[in-house]
Amino acid sequence: MFSFLVKRILSGSLIVVLVSVMIYALFWYGPKSPALELCRRDTNNRCTPAKLVEFEDRLGYSNPIYEEYGKWAKGLVADRTIIHGTSEYDCPAPCLGISYRDKSLVTDQFKERFPVTVSLAVGASALYLLIGVTVGVLAARRRGSVADKALVASTLVFSSIPYYLVALLSFLILTLSTSVFPEAKYVPFLDDPLAWFSGLLLVWLVMGLYGATAYTRYSRGSMVEALGEDYVRTARAKGLRMRTVVTKHALRSALVPVITIFGLDVAFLLSGTVFTEKIFSLEGIGKWGIDAVNIKDLPVVQATTLVLAVSVVVMNIIVDIVYSILDPRVRLA
Amino acid sequence: MKRTKAFAAGVSAAALTLTLAACGGGGDDDEGGDQGFTSGDTSSGGKNPEAVGPAPEIEGATEGGEITVLAPDPDDGIDSLDPASLWSVTDNGILQDLVLRSLTTFRQNDAGEYELVPDLATDLGTPNEDFTEWRFTLKDGIKWETGEPVTAEEVAFGIKRSFDADAFATGPGTAYSKPYFDGGADYNGPYTDGEDFPAVTTEGNDIIMKFGKPFPEMDYYSIFPAIGPVPLDAEINDYRLNALSTGPYKVEKFVPNQELVLVPNDQWDPETDPARRQLVDKYTFKFDVNPQVAAETVFSDAGSTTVVTALQGTDYNKAQSEGLQDQVLVGPQPCTSFVMPNYTKVPELEVRQALAYAYDYENIWSAGGELSGVTRANGVTDEELGFGLLPPGMAGREVWNGPFDDAPITFDPEKSKELLAEAGFEPGEYEVSFVYDASTPEGEAAAEQRQRGYEEGGFAVQKYPYTAGSLYDVWTDPDNKLYKKINLLGTAWCQDWPSAATFLPPIVETGAAYNTGQFSEASVDDEMERIRQLPVDEQAAAWGELEQTVMTDYQPVINTGYYQNIFGFGSQIGGFANDTSVGGAPDYRTIYVEQ
Amino acid sequence: MALPAGDIAVHDETADASLEPEARKKIAGRSPTRIAFDRLRKDPIAVICFAIVLLFAVIALFADQINSLVGVNTEVVRASERVNLVTLLPLDGPPNHGFDPEHPFGVAPGDGTDNFAVWTKGCQTSLFLATMAAVLSTTIGVALGLLAGFLGGIVDSIISFMIDLFLTFPFLVGALALAPIINDRWATEPEKLRDVSFWALVAILTIFGWMTVARLVRGEVLALREREFVKAARVIGVPTRRILVREMLPNLIAPIIISFSLGLPAYVSAEAGLSYLGIGIIGRESWGRTIEQATPWWEQYPQFLLAPVVGIAVLVVALNLLGDAIRDAFDPKTRR
Repeated sequence: MFSFLVKRILSGSLIVVLVSVMIYALFWYGPKSPALELCRRDTNNRCTPAKLVEFEDRLGYSNPIYEEYGKWAKGLVADRTIIHGTSEYDCPAPCLGISYRDKSLVTDQFKERFPVTVSLAVGASALYLLIGVTVGVLAARRRGSVADKALVASTLVFSSIPYYLVALLSFLILTLSTSVFPEAKYVPFLDDPLAWFSGLLLVWLVMGLYGATAYTRYSRGSMVEALGEDYVRTARAKGLRMRTVVTKHALRSALVPVITIFGLDVAFLLSGTVFTEKIFSLEGIGKWGIDAVNIKDLPVVQATTLVLAVSVVVMNIIVDIVYSILDPRVRLA
Repeated sequence: MKRTKAFAAGVSAAALTLTLAACGGGGDDDEGGDQGFTSGDTSSGGKNPEAVGPAPEIEGATEGGEITVLAPDPDDGIDSLDPASLWSVTDNGILQDLVLRSLTTFRQNDAGEYELVPDLATDLGTPNEDFTEWRFTLKDGIKWETGEPVTAEEVAFGIKRSFDADAFATGPGTAYSKPYFDGGADYNGPYTDGEDFPAVTTEGNDIIMKFGKPFPEMDYYSIFPAIGPVPLDAEINDYRLNALSTGPYKVEKFVPNQELVLVPNDQWDPETDPARRQLVDKYTFKFDVNPQVAAETVFSDAGSTTVVTALQGTDYNKAQSEGLQDQVLVGPQPCTSFVMPNYTKVPELEVRQALAYAYDYENIWSAGGELSGVTRANGVTDEELGFGLLPPGMAGREVWNGPFDDAPITFDPEKSKELLAEAGFEPGEYEVSFVYDASTPEGEAAAEQRQRGYEEGGFAVQKYPYTAGSLYDVWTDPDNKLYKKINLLGTAWCQDWPSAATFLPPIVETGAAYNTGQFSEASVDDEMERIRQLPVDEQAAAWGELEQTVMTDYQPVINTGYYQNIFGFGSQIGGFANDTSVGGAPDYRTIYVEQ
Repeated sequence: MALPAGDIAVHDETADASLEPEARKKIAGRSPTRIAFDRLRKDPIAVICFAIVLLFAVIALFADQINSLVGVNTEVVRASERVNLVTLLPLDGPPNHGFDPEHPFGVAPGDGTDNFAVWTKGCQTSLFLATMAAVLSTTIGVALGLLAGFLGGIVDSIISFMIDLFLTFPFLVGALALAPIINDRWATEPEKLRDVSFWALVAILTIFGWMTVARLVRGEVLALREREFVKAARVIGVPTRRILVREMLPNLIAPIIISFSLGLPAYVSAEAGLSYLGIGIIGRESWGRTIEQATPWWEQYPQFLLAPVVGIAVLVVALNLLGDAIRDAFDPKTRR
């Protein structure tokens, strides 16, 4: 177990570093100067070649890439002072740099935005499991029946429509036209748990119902398989109630593929949900990142990349551990 | 793309075929008292140096209530509150009206027109004979939100900051402070070059400015918050986040590009302010909101005290068909968009004229999602608008409907072929090429309509899709490989204040930033230089005459529409008016919540 | 277990019934594939779904012929001939004027293009794009997942590392950064750009889509390889390739079919979502693009939005139910 963890953490760190270098390089060596968007923005679109060079100098793009990346990476562990033109900014460790756009500390922005994204992730992932697995198991137990087909089809219809349309129309119809749900907004949980819940309820439902389809399908599929296994028949033959067999025996092995997907989905949720955040105007990691990509705000892009990379790596390790618990035959090695 | 900001962000959903990204004064939102372009006069109110506070009462206005203002995507709103960096319609509209006072300002007079009135200054300033020196006197009793008095030194400091082209590159200082003030080009603001700058000095309550060349429009330029006070200890970087208020509202919460919350400032004295009011208890501005969400909100019960700064064409039609006409307002913008042929690649005057007859105006607008005569208009919808360079309402402007009196410009393929034949081209022989925004279905549809029109007009057409950002990337970059392929470019421009001097030169002067077609005629350049030296009261007419000459003799641009913006406001919003003085935004000085 | 609905009969009930006793006699001699097909044939839902999928495939393959048969095309017309320039809504047909036989699905607001023609061409693009991406990503995913899970050791480490690396790479940032590079490269050749942007999208969807399948398969294989029948096969010296293909793969049909039938619609949606963010197909009609164009019209011209949405939904449900039926039919443990 210990050596497994060490190995996974090492390879995980390598991945995080690789991905962040790749993104850095992608921006650095893209077809247009990485300073161009910012130069345009800060000069009212009067970005002359001389201005552009000035911006490249100011943002450090005229230095070698490894030097700049080194500075950035060092900031993760040590305080640094960032100089932009004539201005200096103190950036205490862990320093993720300052946003090119509004010169604020990326770390501070992150602290403000991450709770929003975590809140979304908590609700959505809970619904994934709750709705997805319940419907999947129900459908599996009635396999082939009209109820089965209806359950499967109904979740499918929902998720076959492009997500942004579903989210947008739900918001327009359920909140604005008819006021069935209160307006979507983020209130910190500790400030007012009830407002936190009601503000995000519709968002969770949309995300949860939409995302649950995959869980329905996977859990139905593997549940059907599990119910066909010999040990299930043995259990039934022993006289155990179907309910007990399903929850105690079959579900356990049926959850293996579900857990894989779930781990990843949680990681993706934690790294921000672009469409959800954009449509419901929630200021989380996803909207932050996409806006930053558009204006080539590299420090912010790097930060959101780190969030994703770390979440994926951590969740993967957790998933493997959960595997070994769910299925004793899986060895961790 | 970012119509309200003068820059273009990489990928955005709502790119126009021709974006307004180039607007000097920013961009996008305009509201007007009614729906005709001709009434969108931006300056007919003239000047009123005698105006004093308090602002005249609005009939029926009530106090109290809270207003939410939604600025839909692609307007990502205010990213800085620093007076020196403000130069866009959204930002100036909000901050000039509510938070940051400057030496002069506009207000709506009884006739609904905008007149220039003194703000922090006692009058509209006193120029010397040749407009190389201006003197303004600061009113007594002006206070910061902290209760500290505002001093003339602080106003001078604020003006000096506008020379810092590095820290406040987005501000108007680069366009007006640096070129006009004496020695301005070499002075880079108090943070870099110290506070000692002889062109801006104080004498008791007086602020004295000296200019290197005549600047008769200093009273207009003084409407910008950049020509207002800044505390002497303001930091260069952080003041943009916590700027102090001198106006009726102060900042309670500000998240750049996301949210701005304003609450009443109890240190503001209405007796000193001829233009502003304090009718509303709280303003919440939200930026970059989904357009459909914004529209649905403003029409719903929940949005009864909401204002939307730009609705889409579909929302306008919805309002028309569902009896919500009272909740929308269509207002002109002092902006014009153009197709601009490359002057060296399309040297034949007849061909440039033919292009004006081969552009299928209304169909291109329709395919692009614009409503003919509502959000876009020019001579094809109303002869009074014409196809000239200058937007309606500009002093000295004369309607121009094309070079031929017997054939005013409209979509006329036969006339186009005729002109091509005059230039010696068979139908299908002359190839025009342009780049279009392919990132939205509307952009593609509009380009297809445009191609069809040109082909019917006897041109061969090559069009290039572009998705990587703003079309200005291509139009303003001679090294771009698409730039080398195309011979039709485009540009769009908004006035900074109602003077052709803020409009003609940026487009037709040799080497100007938005002269994307590289138009260059020595006689035109000379004439512009001559007009600048004319007595002030003769300039307007001279600019108007020059516009006629340029269009008739050279047709450097093809007018593809004046812009109008659609505002939406909730059922409980009263006093909604079009602040054309900043280039078009809701007039936050007159809005109130009906109780 | 419920009766397969096939026994409840459809139109060719008599023919089936007459075959039944004969077929039963032959049971011992039929191959598993044959059994599966026989089962499928008798499942009316499977048959209906198959017919629907087939219909869409035909529409996609023969879009041009169908359009000329109906008498519509995607050519640009002068907008004012078909739409009101102030409301942008069509002069004839939906939403305000009932059915217009010349344009069965009406015309698009704004530019007046025929909706039916755009719909069939969009079906072609979307289906082709999604199929290519789903096939490629499923194939890559299954192959790598199988190898990683079964072989273990260094192979597993490398493949797992690749999976993690790709999963960890931010998809949207990657797509948003890659698309302009491609568009920039072919900017001056619009004809090539039309194809390149399509294949680039297939590539982007594949590159960022295979890992989920791979992980899933790997997880399943990790469990499977400990199973008695696999162990037995190893002990008796069955070659690895044969174990993978003959023993493992059939047991993986469920996850493969599910991920394929989920992947296909996901890619259709992804295309729509990416075009919403500005990374779309250039110069072709597609359902995603029509949906994007129709979204602001959802209230005033819902038919415009419904056509592609219903198209996608019907296709997706049919594909999934068919996938389920195939899965069930191939499942050796399904007792009937």
